[in-house]
This record gives sequence, C-alpha cells and structure tokens, in this order.
Amino acid sequence: MPRTRKQPARTWEAGSTPEDTGPAVVTRAPNAPQYLLPLEAAAARVQPRQAHAQAAERLWFCVYLPKLPLEAVPTPAGKAGGVRVLCEDRQGMQRVLLPSDQARAAGIVPGQSASAALALHADAVLIERSVQREQQTLESLAAWLERFSSCVSIVGPDVLVLEIAGSLRLFGGLRALRRQIAEGLQAKGFDANLAIAPTPLAATWIARFGRRACIREATNLMPVLRRLPLRCLDWPAKLCATLKGMGMETVGDCFRLPREGFVRRFGGHLLMELDRAAGHLPDPRTSWRAPERFSARHEMTAEQSDCELLLNVCESLLEQHEHFLLLRQQGAQQIRLAFFHLRAPATVLSVGCAEVERSARHWFELLKIRFEGFRLPEPVIAVSLEGGLPRPLNRDSAAFSFERRPMNGASYSMRQLAERLAARMGDDAVFRLGILADHRPERAGQLQTASSTRPAAKSGTPVACPAPRPHVLPPPRRPLWMLPEPERLRVREGQPWHKGRLQLLSGPERLETGWWDSGGISRDYYRARGPCGHQLWVFRMRERQQADDWYLQGYFG
Amino acid sequence: MTGETSTVETLLDSPHVWRGHGRAHSSAGLPSGYPSLDRCLPGGGWPLHALSEILLDNYGIGELELLMPALASLTARDSVTEGRDTSAWVAWIAPPFQPYPPALAEWRIDVSRVLVVRPRDAQEVLWSAEQALSSGTCAAVLLWPARLDDQSSRRLQLAAEKGASWAIAFRPLKARREPSAAALRIMLEAVADGTDLSIVKNRGGQPAVLKRFFEHRSGADGG
Repeated sequence: MPRTRKQPARTWEAGSTPEDTGPAVVTRAPNAPQYLLPLEAAAARVQPRQAHAQAAERLWFCVYLPKLPLEAVPTPAGKAGGVRVLCEDRQGMQRVLLPSDQARAAGIVPGQSASAALALHADAVLIERSVQREQQTLESLAAWLERFSSCVSIVGPDVLVLEIAGSLRLFGGLRALRRQIAEGLQAKGFDANLAIAPTPLAATWIARFGRRACIREATNLMPVLRRLPLRCLDWPAKLCATLKGMGMETVGDCFRLPREGFVRRFGGHLLMELDRAAGHLPDPRTSWRAPERFSARHEMTAEQSDCELLLNVCESLLEQHEHFLLLRQQGAQQIRLAFFHLRAPATVLSVGCAEVERSARHWFELLKIRFEGFRLPEPVIAVSLEGGLPRPLNRDSAAFSFERRPMNGASYSMRQLAERLAARMGDDAVFRLGILADHRPERAGQLQTASSTRPAAKSGTPVACPAPRPHVLPPPRRPLWMLPEPERLRVREGQPWHKGRLQLLSGPERLETGWWDSGGISRDYYRARGPCGHQLWVFRMRERQQADDWYLQGYFG
Repeated sequence: MTGETSTVETLLDSPHVWRGHGRAHSSAGLPSGYPSLDRCLPGGGWPLHALSEILLDNYGIGELELLMPALASLTARDSVTEGRDTSAWVAWIAPPFQPYPPALAEWRIDVSRVLVVRPRDAQEVLWSAEQALSSGTCAAVLLWPARLDDQSSRRLQLAAEKGASWAIAFRPLKARREPSAAALRIMLEAVADGTDLSIVKNRGGQPAVLKRFFEHRSGADGG
C-alpha cells in the first residue's frame, strides 16, 4: 500500500493535484541550504517508502472535549441538566465562557456578561471556571483511556490522543474499539469529538474541526487535511488573522506557500507542525503516566484475630511501603489499610499524617494508637495496604510550624502530638486557630484542621498576632467564646431573652461591612448580662429594623 | 543562715518528706495576673505542673478571663527566655464553644500556638488530655470533661507532673462534693453584680473566698 505512492514524502502536494503549480516548485527545492529544517536533512536521506511505512504503523485516536470546562463540574445526582453557565473572569468582568444546552436554549451565548445571562434566565447557575479542575478531569480520563492503549497523551487543555494501532486486534478491530471508547465517554457524561488519523496532529485537528473522520491510510490523509480551516490548528489568533489577510483559509493553502518564505515570516516551528501533521516528520508523544501508588496485600494462612499478630503484619507492609517510597524519593500523607474478613465486608482504616512522611516506624506508631480504640468485627484473613498519593518529601516543610525550635526534654514534638490525636480521633478532631483581617466576627476567627497544609483563608488576609504591648492591656471587646452560628433569641416585651431578661451593659457597636461579597452584615452589637450572671455578646439586625431580631453570638468567658 | 538550717531545709524540700501543713515543696507558681488571687495561692500564683479545677455552672462568668493573663505569659515565654523553655503550646480539649481567636489575640495569646481538640466521647477527652499533658510540649491543657472521677484526676495529675504541664479542668459546681487529686480547686459563682471566687482546695495553702472577684459595671469594662 505505501508503495502505491510514488512521490517523495518531502513534497507537499505529491504533484498530482491541479492547484499544485508555481509555488510547489519552490517547495521542491530540497537542497536549498538557506532553510535547514530537520526535515530537509532527514528527508534527503530517508527513503520515502520508509517514511510512509512508519506513518502507517501508527494510528492515532483523538478525543477532543469541547465542553470540558462545563463537564468537569461535578453535578449533583439527578440534576444533570439545568441551566448552567460557566463563567470566566475577563478583565474584571464575569463573562460567559460556556453555557449548557438548556442555557443556550434560553438565549445565553458565550461572551455575554454574567449579569446579562442572569437577566435572560434568573435561575441560571453560574459556575466559576477552574483550570485545575479541568486538568484533574482530563487526567482521570487519561487514566481511564489507558485501558485501550499503552500510549495515552494529554495534548492540550481539552485534547487527549492515544495510539491505537497496537490495540486493534485485542479489541476486535477499529470499529469495535471506537465504539467502546465512544460509549465509555458518553456514559461518563462527556460530549467528545473523536477522530482517527495516522498522525496525532492530524487527528487533533480533524477532531477540533468536528468531523467524525476515520482515516486509516496515509494516502487518504492529505485530502482531508487540506480542506481543514485554519481555526482547527489552535494557532494564535493574530497569526490566523495574518494568514487570513493573505488569503489563506485552509490548511491546504498553507501547504501551498513557499516553504522558505513561510519559515521566514512565521518561524520554523509552524512549518514543522504542518510537516508533522502530514506525516513527513516523526511526531513522538510522551505517554501520560498515572502517579504510582503503593499497594500490597498479605494473605493469612488462617483466620486471625490476634491484634499483636495483625500489627506485625501491618509493620511488614509498612516497611515495604517505606522501601517503595524510598526508591522514589517520595513520601505519603495518608495510607489506607483494609482488613478482609471471611463473612463480613472489609474493615478499612485510613491513617493520616500532618506532613508527608515515609518512615515505617512513624506510620506504625500512628497505627498502634489507631488500633487502641479499634475493634475488628471478625477474624481477619488478609490485610492490604494502599499508599496515598506519593508526594515529594519535604524535610524542611514549615507548614505546621510546631517545631520551630528544638524542644528541651520533650518526649515528642507538637506535630507528633497532633498526629497522635488525629490518628485516634480522626482529622476533623484536631484544629489550629487562625485570624483573618475581617470585621465580620464569624469570619475573623477560623478553625483549621491541623493536617491542612495551608491556611484555609477564603477571603481577607491572615494576620499575625499583634505585638505584645507592655503594661497596658486594652479592654477586650470581643468575647472569648463564640457560638458556631448566631443563635436567635426570644424577645419578650421588646427585650431579648435568654434564660431570663437580658440587661444590656454596653453598646451598641455597629458592624456594617462585607457589602462587597455575599456575606454582608449590618448589626448592632451589645454586651448583655443574663439572669445567671453570665455575659453575652448579642446583636440586633439593622436591616429590617425590627425589634425582635436579636441574636446571641458569644459569651464573655 | 547557718549550714545546719540549710541542711534541714534541703531535707524538708525533699519530695520524700510529706508535711501536712505549710509550703513544703511548693515551687514558685505562675502569677495569675490578679494580685488578690496570687496572695491566696502558695507560691504566689497558679500551681504549675499540677491539676487545677475550676468549678462553675454557667459559662460566660469570667472563667477564661481568670486564666488569660497566665496563658498569655506562657505562650509568650519562649520569646523571653530564648531557647530554654519552649513548650509554649496551649491545648483546649472539648471546649463547650469555639474559642474566638481575635479575642485571644486581644489578651496577647499567640493564637498560632493554640491547639483545639474535639474528641468524640468522654473517654477520648481524658485520653487526649493525658497525651497532651505528658507530651511535654503543651504548657497548659484546658479540658472540659463530661465527668472526672478520682482515679482519672489522679492520672491527669501524674501526667501533668510528667510532662511539666499545667492542667485546668472545668467542672460543674456539684463536683465540689467529689474527691479529686487536683492541687487547686476554685469555685466561680455568679452573683448579682459580679462573680465570686472561692478557693475550695488549696494544696499548701488555705481555702479563701474572694467576693466580687469580677465586678460587672455598665460601660467599658474588661471581660
């Protein structure tokens, strides 16, 4: 089949098309030294037949996800549809990037401002775009596609290509393989454009164009490629405009341009891209690799319920885990142990660590604590250990600044204490405190889980503790105890009531802030005294000017 | 002083000699920031490396305010004596509400050195308190146990000694009738215009009553 083609691979148009006239002659100057592209050197030596044989060996499957930004957003079960609009911040304005189908039906189009979208459909759900979320979705998709090919590559923010020539036999032919991938993608809720071509770039461009093309033979590639409009190439808009100004509308027009002039005007990399798409140049792709995770399993010879013995098994698994991480210069922040029973579902135990850790001894210490308050429902027949996502080990991490200075006579550090506590009671039991520069009382003070690596700052900036002022202690104005949520107080005879009539001691202190985001407040705060002698921090809502809107927010402990 | 008396003093200071009365081996206490209270306490302040109990029925009557100056001096301590005593963490175990960081900062407590623990049950409260006390990294451990029997209070006392830490347990007023190994038991009762403080048990000192320890006045008052 490759032999049917007589022309050298180096020439663009194979000399057979009618439009291949003047400029093509120039492109056929192979020995011109003024533009030394890799192509020229390679093609001068490589026989065209070989080049074609190489191209035919591979077949690339491209998955283009035009709606990925929207599809990456997790939807609550049962609410798949709905008017949803993905927005992006452009020059300080929220603009519609991608409306869902129903939103499109409501008249919302990309490029509109978010408020215009809301005006068109008041119930539209605006979703902020997150590139990170898209990347994660793409990676999970790549991991899924790895079952079809050993070479899956993430090309761009929304494109995946996989080499399928090697997988055709296993999956029962091209048609069956294509159907399996298409059905899988559909089941996952992705609206994908699929294309198959002998080169990865050609497949990508065809998929972007939106054609469901399947080109197996290299000979069939060029006609299709030539007809593709320039917008499929994902070249910079400015460049496309320039090309358009020159009258270039399709890829074929570019192919007809004189090569040297093209290089001089637009740079060699674009020409190389065209060559790669056409299959004249090799286009090696690095295949995406899912991060390695440790997983090991120990089978018992008989059912065991002895804790000591189980701990020994866990210890040996943890040592394997340490060895695995040691080889990769990595650590883990979480491990998952599963104890399998004969007659009951497996008991799963996950142990977390405040910092990235690999030492088996450290993990074992935490596990031992976890075991203290832990009862296995059944004897165990097997134990498995799954390492968490391996992370680069950072010995000097200052995330949880417990060990600022060496401890004197301390049996273990604060970090270890926090880990021990979290190991037994769970990560959501151990907190640190943080302060944000915000006047809203509920935002100024924050609890952060001790294992979080960065402060959970949502708005405002974390502030440092004010420097101690000598001798003078300003009168504290804020209560030491806070309720998690302001609690509505009953009102009797126009007075707030909490276990009795409240006597207002001082106030009001007006807090009116936060109008710039959704959590704005407008309140008058008072210090009040209850009948039991306790002092409360209460506030009255100002918005509705109603006397019965009293809330309790804290206690002066 | 002659050499003889100093020998006797050394002998009396030995932990093997137990004296029923007087300031046998009371180390210097941690000034509470309230001179009237310091005068009643042996060692002139809170007994460190021991368990103290604060008995009260209602939160919000100054129970934290009582501790704040002492806690502030503990968390600030490592900046004063650089490199010597760095165990300046304060652990709050099972607090009834959320401690409010800006208010703590107003009391000059370094909030970055505060650890809040929310155990799931009463057993875990005691376990985490014991862990925190004996770790040697917490200068003070505040706990709000649902119940605390004699044996548990002894364990906490021992853990506090082991880790050179200060344990403060908040308990209801009725716990006054139960025995406890605490070195100091303080009762807080709200009255008409303030809070009365009474020292129920005072190891190495005398019980005392301080009327109107906190006084409520309208206007800008500390609290």
